[in-house]
Amino acid sequence: MVNFATLVREHWMNILVPIGFVIGFYMDRAQDEKLTNFRNRSALYSRELKPGEEVTWK
Amino acid sequence: MLKILIPTFMLFPTIWLVPGKWLWTATTAHSLVVASASLSWFKWCSETGWVAPNLYLALDPLSFPLAVLACWLVPLMIIASQNHVAHEPLTRQRTYISLLVSLQVFLILAFSAMDILTFYVMFEATLIPTLIIITRWGSQTERLSAGTYFMFYTLLGSLPLLVALLYLLNDTGTLSMHTLQYIQMTNPDTLGTMLWWVACLLAFLVKMPLYGVHLWLPKAHVEAPVAGSMVLAAVLLKLGGYGMMRMMVVLGPLTKEMAYPFIILALWGIIMTGSICLRQTDLKSLIAYSSVSHMGLVASGILIQTPWGFTGAIILMVAHGLASSALFCLANTSYERTHSRTMLLTRGLQMILPLMAAWWFLANLANLALPPLPNLMGELMIIVSVFNWSSWTILLTGLGTLITASYSLHLFLTTQRGPTPQHFISMDPSHTREHLLMALHLIPLLLLVLKPELMWGWCF
Repeated sequence: MVNFATLVREHWMNILVPIGFVIGFYMDRAQDEKLTNFRNRSALYSRELKPGEEVTWK
Repeated sequence: MLKILIPTFMLFPTIWLVPGKWLWTATTAHSLVVASASLSWFKWCSETGWVAPNLYLALDPLSFPLAVLACWLVPLMIIASQNHVAHEPLTRQRTYISLLVSLQVFLILAFSAMDILTFYVMFEATLIPTLIIITRWGSQTERLSAGTYFMFYTLLGSLPLLVALLYLLNDTGTLSMHTLQYIQMTNPDTLGTMLWWVACLLAFLVKMPLYGVHLWLPKAHVEAPVAGSMVLAAVLLKLGGYGMMRMMVVLGPLTKEMAYPFIILALWGIIMTGSICLRQTDLKSLIAYSSVSHMGLVASGILIQTPWGFTGAIILMVAHGLASSALFCLANTSYERTHSRTMLLTRGLQMILPLMAAWWFLANLANLALPPLPNLMGELMIIVSVFNWSSWTILLTGLGTLITASYSLHLFLTTQRGPTPQHFISMDPSHTREHLLMALHLIPLLLLVLKPELMWGWCF
């Protein structure tokens, strides 16, 4: 049987890079939303979203 | 953008906290995951022309192939260095891997910077880890002089660039890449403006390197450990090409006349460095000079400023990055067994390492630009656009291609064919690790030609 405590003690640091992905993904999305809101306020680019479209800039 | 950068930063604590017996496995696996995630940048679907943007960093079709290449190279460098660094004390191994990862951070930031000044800072920052890798992990005492050459050539080229950039900033108030293309030169014919033009490009021409300011490169390549040679050939030289393409939009009409001597030097350099390769005795030095020759073609493609020239330059940069890095890995596999880089002493390896000879063959074909590899595509596009600029250039580019084929065959025949020397007494068989390393270099190269628009730049 795998000794769970040893497994955690030896390998806990392997979670750091996946945590980095999660944080990065979240921050990227927040930034996308911020830029999209900014763009939607402009008179030149703002428009209604088409059906199934998430953002105006894709 | 941050979904790649933050995991890359997280690699540092992972490197220093992971138990020693898992160090290489864990760092290779994590960096390979980061590299695979960076492939998401290829999904480029933005009407603004920029992908993964935030206020300071973004990628466009010119920069993302090179950023992905920088991410892809890190796991390969870690795999390639295992054999010779794994015997050192653990702290030194961790320092070594940390330096490789710091290079990845600086390179991603350089390729994705939205401000020319940020790009400049990151361009300079890449010197530090590279210098440490060369001077600390190089194998001979000459590594110190190689480090001095590397540092001072690059710094002497780039200090005028800093002055030129600050002058431009003072004049326009911004160095953002969004607005650079709208800058108009007011008085293009004065001596000061011409000096400014040279200052803007000199740093990148030294980094490429252009023939005449290339002497630092063979020295650095010969003295660096395998990871240093790989990253130099694959990505650091490409920073020069990338910087030139970014600055070209600012330099405006002046380039038409000012570029003449530099195009001539670049084309002449193809012949000269090719000829040097033909009589080279040192394996790594030959590959280094072949890099100078290929980058001469890239420089001429960029300097004539046509869409085909730019596209060919990006394609050749990416393809040459993978092919030359593969050649340096192969040179290292024979160096680790024979302990010599002299080609006369490392002959007839096909009899001992037959599968490795197959990799040598493929990597050489990539280097001499055989169809269907993207190297051919890049070279053809540049040669055609340079021919369109002046038909006389075909003499230089055509002869250059012929010489490239000759020295590639010379390299293959000398190292692989012929009788095996008597002084080889016992030799390790090739490792799975080395075959994996070669496969990770050459399979992307073969796949890229199936969808070359991934590295076509702005022109698709």
